Amino acid sequence: MASRQPRFNQQNLIDTTPLPEEIPKVKELGATSAPLLSASYFIGARCKAYNDDYMMCKTDANGRGELECLKEGRKVTRCAASVIDDINKHCLAEFRGHWQCLENYNHQLWNCRSAERKLNKCVFDNLKLEKTIPDTPKGETPVHLKKHMIFARNV
Amino acid sequence: MGVPFEALLPYGIMIGMFAFTGGALGQLRWMQNGRKRPRHGLDIWDQVMMQRDRRLTGFARGQTDKAEAPAGFELNNPWKVEYRFF
Repeated sequence: MASRQPRFNQQNLIDTTPLPEEIPKVKELGATSAPLLSASYFIGARCKAYNDDYMMCKTDANGRGELECLKEGRKVTRCAASVIDDINKHCLAEFRGHWQCLENYNHQLWNCRSAERKLNKCVFDNLKLEKTIPDTPKGETPVHLKKHMIFARNV
Repeated sequence: MGVPFEALLPYGIMIGMFAFTGGALGQLRWMQNGRKRPRHGLDIWDQVMMQRDRRLTGFARGQTDKAEAPAGFELNNPWKVEYRFF
């Protein structure tokens, strides 16, 4: 009797069986939503090749690919973790300033441009990663470089 | 013939009471959000990211910038299941 753990929830099943041994291990990324959003463009700048690889693998697998793309997925995880790790090493104060601002302003990038400018400068100086917004029209200032955000609470 | 000030006292009381309750409820909501402004206009992506935040930190508004997740994080992702699986 009572060799089974009681489950009180009828919808959520938490299965603590670890992955089989033949699948190589990878440490999961530990950053939460606001730090990830703050670092997202730098993750994109460094890891574009890996991310594109993974997305191509998923596309080629035609809706499957959970097992087939594990190798690419591990590369994506490791690359993102390396970016977070480097930012933590070199620009921790600016990084925290930015993501705490984001967390306070509903994760709206346009409300935290001053903190973002400091972070972008620090990351560019130390890690040589630059924030670029993909598909910005030619000859137009990208939105993160504009001097004034019209509706922002803090410039 | 000005309005006597006694006529305006009830309005002062009403405005004061509304201001107090509004401020108190706002403060309560701020405290429930971990001493941060509440999130609003959340889409599905924001909601699943907040669930992930809860799995990482134990609190939906908790944040951490560590590069590596704590041990066991990869296994505490709940599956949504139907009754027949229990």
